Amino acid sequence: MPDATFLDSTELVLNMGPQHPSTHGVLRVILKLDGEKVLGTDCVIGYLHRGVEKIAENRTYAQFNPYVDRMDYVAAISNGLGYCLAVEKLLNVEAPPRAQVVRVILTELNRIASHLLWLGTHALDIGAITPVFYCLREREEALKIFEKYCGARLTTHAFRIGGLLYETYEGFEREVRDFCKMFVPKVDEYEELLTNNRIWKARLIGVGILSAEECKEYGVTGPVLRAAGVKWDLRKAQPYSGYEKYDFEIPTRANGDTYDRYVVRMQEMRQAVRIMEQAVEAIPEGPIMGKVGKVIKPPVGEAYVSIEAPKGELGYYVVSDGSTQPYRCRVRPPSFVNLQALDRMIRGGLVADVVAVIGTLDIVLGEIDR
Amino acid sequence: MADEQKPEGSQVPPPAGGEAAKPAPPKPAAAPAPPKPPAVMAATPWDSDLAREIKERFGDRVGETSTYLGQNFIVAKPDAAVSLLEYLKLEADFDYLVDITAVDWPKRPERFDVVYVVYSFARNERVRIKTYIPEGFKLETAVGVHLTANWLEREVFDMFGIEFEGHPDLRRILMPEEWQGYPLRKDYGILQQDDRWVRENLGIESGQ
Amino acid sequence: MFKLLKKIFLVDLFQGLRVTFRNQNPKYIYTEQYPAERPQVAERYRGAPRLNNNPDNGETLCIACNLCALACPENLIVVGSERNEATRRKELTYFTYDTSRCMFCGLCEDACPVDALELTQDFELATYTREGQVWDRQMLEEGPKPTQYKC
Repeated sequence: MPDATFLDSTELVLNMGPQHPSTHGVLRVILKLDGEKVLGTDCVIGYLHRGVEKIAENRTYAQFNPYVDRMDYVAAISNGLGYCLAVEKLLNVEAPPRAQVVRVILTELNRIASHLLWLGTHALDIGAITPVFYCLREREEALKIFEKYCGARLTTHAFRIGGLLYETYEGFEREVRDFCKMFVPKVDEYEELLTNNRIWKARLIGVGILSAEECKEYGVTGPVLRAAGVKWDLRKAQPYSGYEKYDFEIPTRANGDTYDRYVVRMQEMRQAVRIMEQAVEAIPEGPIMGKVGKVIKPPVGEAYVSIEAPKGELGYYVVSDGSTQPYRCRVRPPSFVNLQALDRMIRGGLVADVVAVIGTLDIVLGEIDR
Repeated sequence: MADEQKPEGSQVPPPAGGEAAKPAPPKPAAAPAPPKPPAVMAATPWDSDLAREIKERFGDRVGETSTYLGQNFIVAKPDAAVSLLEYLKLEADFDYLVDITAVDWPKRPERFDVVYVVYSFARNERVRIKTYIPEGFKLETAVGVHLTANWLEREVFDMFGIEFEGHPDLRRILMPEEWQGYPLRKDYGILQQDDRWVRENLGIESGQ
Repeated sequence: MFKLLKKIFLVDLFQGLRVTFRNQNPKYIYTEQYPAERPQVAERYRGAPRLNNNPDNGETLCIACNLCALACPENLIVVGSERNEATRRKELTYFTYDTSRCMFCGLCEDACPVDALELTQDFELATYTREGQVWDRQMLEEGPKPTQYKC
């Protein structure tokens, strides 16, 4: 770690954030610069710390469920899925098949929504203003489905421990199918705008390289890891919620630079559509709530359950002491761990690349600070 | 997890408005009483080559190797935790440190559980290493083995006050640097905050 | 050679411009003219809370069972009740709901056994004071009355 307070005549310490538009929230990066060159960074986080883990210890299992949406608020449904799976694991129950399929559809839709927001803002950071409008336009369609399904657009509280509360509304399947049909040409459109664009390429290729070994060393997961060439996705490696039933690929790239991460995420959106298309054709009939009592009281024990959130591995380590409240609920946030690699990625780079690298990590400060 | 303990000090009165914080007692009291869940975690021994190898290698520096709900964990002596991590990384391909966290059990002599979660890409397997330490015990840092331990240990320090020997930069990470107290300890109430810090730095009286 | 020509004739630029011009089509207008045109929110939307009355006799449906207050993660519901000596039933005396702390998770709505408490489709909850965010029983029964603008 560089000494943040160090300053002399040749080196400049520059504060980026916490109110900088390209830090995607209240992230403060202290940059040590030599001219345009970045000598080192130090991240100051915690501005959004709300003590989610402490709150968990003072709420019942069901009451804590809406709070997890507020960590990674861009992908609230993924957070909810991870928490529900963790408590279900402790209770040793499984959601019924119908609930699992609906969960998969909504989670993948949320992955698309999250990636769209990332693409829009990342492109905006780099200087391409147009994509953000298109991305938010398509994201709106996904949010409309969330709103119709569970009554909220962003902090959805969509799933309950043991299954689902809400039955799918009339026309849910049709709307998801329409979305899939509408969305693939839109991805082509974004790619038309960006993939071959010379400015886009010049800004991204070779910037913020993180090799596969470094990724493992830093515990980096998600698209960042896959862009470095590691074909690893928790949905395939340790399938949950019935992901083993769907046929999809794990997109990977070799170089591990910012451009590769962009390509991987674009491919991931296409794969998410593929999963949704398969899932929506195979929604079984049946109950949507598993055998879970009104008061959730898991036996004494502990479980670590993780899922593949849009940002990487999202883990919940829940310890139960046999009461109605979690004794300890640890969240392993993907953004927090990924952000740690920021220093490695931009050290030696140019100050203009800092924005590109922060954008490509796809961090959400609500999740980092919790 | 050896003995059941109620979180003390965490049961603070609810904020204004709630007349009762306790949820309604479970209904099926009239039904034939279900067998009371055991007060300890019903873990079963973990039988595998890796567990045997570790036992052989570390002897009594490693306690139980168990499985609960299909998840394996190893209990290690505090001084063996990091060498076990190193062993797992170098010889058993557990090359990805997923998480470091802690659990506070204020009534136990070894007050904290420190939990390391490691994963192996090659084996597609996850193992938890747990170690029990008393308050004030300085655990060896894992930064030398996994770089990702840097921030994770800082967070454990920030939230529980557990110090790590040899950590390159052990500062608070989420809370402000001069904050008093460790928020995730059980004796730190949910409404408690560092009033002096709030007054000095934010210029307001604490809102609670 | 081909690459060079592509570069000189700015093929990538025109490719992008084609997309932007295609999207100029007025049928892609998405912006909602908000105060003039109110959006139609979904049927299940979780917005302003409401205490329902029995449509036949105007009496409240709430049986003062306190389940919503127990279900609420933020402890923001306070239910006051009094036992009516004549009918031997609990009757609601007051009901306050602090919308400033509410996160609209819908747990109170799920807990209600008689569909008395409901989160409705009203979404305009802004007030001028903090005190105005704490809704009493009358406010909960009548619902918010946002200003309607004519344009």
